[in-house]
Amino acid sequence: MTLLARNDLVGVATPGRRRRAGTRVSWSSLLYLAPALLFFVVFVVYPICTSVQTSFYVYDGLTPSTPAGLSNYVNVFTDPDLRAALAHSLVLLVFYAALPVCIGLLLAGAMSRIRIYGLTVFRAVLFLPQILSTVVVAVAWRGLLASDGPVNWVLQHIGLGAVATSWLGNFDTALPAIGVIGTWVEYGLCMILFLAGIVSIERSLYEAARLDGAGAIREFFAITLPALRPQISIALILTITFALRNFDIIWNTTRGGPGTSTTVPSLYVYLDAFQNRQLGQASAIAVVLTVIIFLVVTAVQLLLRERSGERRASRGQRASRGRRTA
Amino acid sequence: MSHHRALRPLTIAVGAALTALALTSCAAPGSGTAAPASTADTISAKVTPADVAKLGSTTLAVWADQAEQPLMKNFIPAYEKTYPNVKVQVTYKSFDDLLATVVNAAAGASAPDVFEGNIGYAVDGALVKAKLVRPLDDVAKVYGWTTGTGASTLAPARWDAAGTTFGSGTLYGMSPISEVQGIYYNKSKLSALGLKPPTSIADLEKESAAAKSAGEVPMVLGNSDQYAATHIFSDIAVTDEKPAGIRDWIGGKRGTTFETAGNEKAADTLKDWVSKGYFESGYDGLSNEDAIAKFAKGTGVFFVGGSWNGASLNADGFGFGSLASGGVGATASPWHISSKTKKTAAGIAWLDMLHSPQTGQWILDGGRLPVITDGVKAGDSLSEETLNALKETIAAGTQVGYYDWSTTDMLTVMGGALQEVMAGRTSSSDFTKTVQAAWAKGHK
Repeated sequence: MTLLARNDLVGVATPGRRRRAGTRVSWSSLLYLAPALLFFVVFVVYPICTSVQTSFYVYDGLTPSTPAGLSNYVNVFTDPDLRAALAHSLVLLVFYAALPVCIGLLLAGAMSRIRIYGLTVFRAVLFLPQILSTVVVAVAWRGLLASDGPVNWVLQHIGLGAVATSWLGNFDTALPAIGVIGTWVEYGLCMILFLAGIVSIERSLYEAARLDGAGAIREFFAITLPALRPQISIALILTITFALRNFDIIWNTTRGGPGTSTTVPSLYVYLDAFQNRQLGQASAIAVVLTVIIFLVVTAVQLLLRERSGERRASRGQRASRGRRTA
Repeated sequence: MSHHRALRPLTIAVGAALTALALTSCAAPGSGTAAPASTADTISAKVTPADVAKLGSTTLAVWADQAEQPLMKNFIPAYEKTYPNVKVQVTYKSFDDLLATVVNAAAGASAPDVFEGNIGYAVDGALVKAKLVRPLDDVAKVYGWTTGTGASTLAPARWDAAGTTFGSGTLYGMSPISEVQGIYYNKSKLSALGLKPPTSIADLEKESAAAKSAGEVPMVLGNSDQYAATHIFSDIAVTDEKPAGIRDWIGGKRGTTFETAGNEKAADTLKDWVSKGYFESGYDGLSNEDAIAKFAKGTGVFFVGGSWNGASLNADGFGFGSLASGGVGATASPWHISSKTKKTAAGIAWLDMLHSPQTGQWILDGGRLPVITDGVKAGDSLSEETLNALKETIAAGTQVGYYDWSTTDMLTVMGGALQEVMAGRTSSSDFTKTVQAAWAKGHK
């Protein structure tokens, strides 16, 4: 059995036999996948299907459900509260996705150019927010942003006392304040991704650019940024998903308040599922949210897709690099 | 790359097949849920240790609010001593977590035998509607809960058969803990200002003005969880509104409304207090927990809250002003016996022991208030003041309960809407309209 499977794997890997492996479903290789596939089906596919199904019912999770047709979906698109929540999500996209990518690029660009002693330590520290539990992050920031917190203390001591406010308790500042927390959480991840990308850029390109008299900024835009396209794409996918499904930071700082100024769709998923016991409505919001995330992420992927010519170039780079290290 | 692409149609096909399989193979959600077997035998005499002993060596699975832990430390050993064949296995949940999970746990295959719910539609209503908790009228009758000091505190755990209104009807739960709202004050600051402990909203308003002009923070409020201000609102509203009317509205009685002059006036009063600076600024960014900690450390003269805040304050520095105009309060989370349990006798014995003067004393010693007030003695002045306030409100019939019981989403709706009025972004009539609309939606 094992031997057979091995032969098969080799078969897949050998170009000459690829065709055969493609036409015949190799059941033994599926066997290898089976444990993971089973997990995936039980804990991902099945719940998703159940959510989709539940979204067409009125269901309290206890008593038998009644079919609801499309009414749950109609509510999603007509409820002004949900529309406002979606608008808040769009604002958060700037803070959770756009800003972290920009800051990450800036830091990665600087770190790759300047020789920094103890770089590993810096990298680890800057990545730290990503590792911390979001509840811990939320509680810590609640303290930082409080009306008598350190942020306001600093503002008062640099003569900006007039700006000081209860950042999370003020209708106008609560949403951006939550956004800043998200930026802080996400930029470390972006930076690490970009640093990894920069490592694989051919050094000679920089040398050539320098010989041609390019400065740091020119170098960044002409070489670093285009080469990081795949990493930027991944960073955006991760941060956008985080932004659109974010719940824990908001729940642990403002609960959607003051008023409804920081509500997001996932907050309503939680409230409808666990507080109002309207599982059908909660599922409908969740399904719509998933579709939105899927669409936005697909759009980003398409926009940042490598064009065929460029791909060949980057492959060439990697190949030459590989030869050199070997 | 191309290798991946070749695999893609297969992946999609498998995915689609699985999706179709999953969608077609399951029936409508909840269709498999059979109503639990109808209630166990009703009792006509008290459960004795001998009755419980008939269960043999057994384990009683209990779910409790984290806040009960100090009480349970005394209670469980006493229970296990009286009923030696029963071993108690308790699962503690934070209050939020309890509310979010207890109903599903009760509906699950391994439901706890005895557990705490919460008054109102979100938890108890769902439990009653799905017939997950045992009716307790027979128990109340046999043990005499319906007479004596705690009798009126049972009302919020009474439901009509359909689980649509509460406040009267069949009893489904019992809480040994009561709560009363009032005004905590900082003793030394109050005497430095030459003021007397406030006993009414009018007093509070006057003394807050005095405290403000003396440069003190009059009231500490932490409203980021959106519920603290609704308690203050109810303290103010009950000075104008009839307690019975508020109770009816909370209980879901048809034809009642929140859009009253008294409620609008109360919202305007709160707004007025904000604009006069009676609350420390930034209250919407401060959690209730952090606020009481600040007050305990010496910020502010007053903290308008309830007996559940008492555990954070010491009797030397702080006093409790009861609201003679109608101190609001309510019973805390009721205990239920699962309708699925095979250990009903042990469950009834559990409730009986909770509803005793001994347990009442433990509750009071732990900084909370018992339903059984006869035969319990307060250990310090602060708990004596709160206990007296509780007795007064029970006697006066002003325990109206909490607004957020009225619908599953009222805590969020009312809490958020009140934040808007207090910040001056909406009018008090907008506020009452929003609240009433949510109520109407919940009581279709």
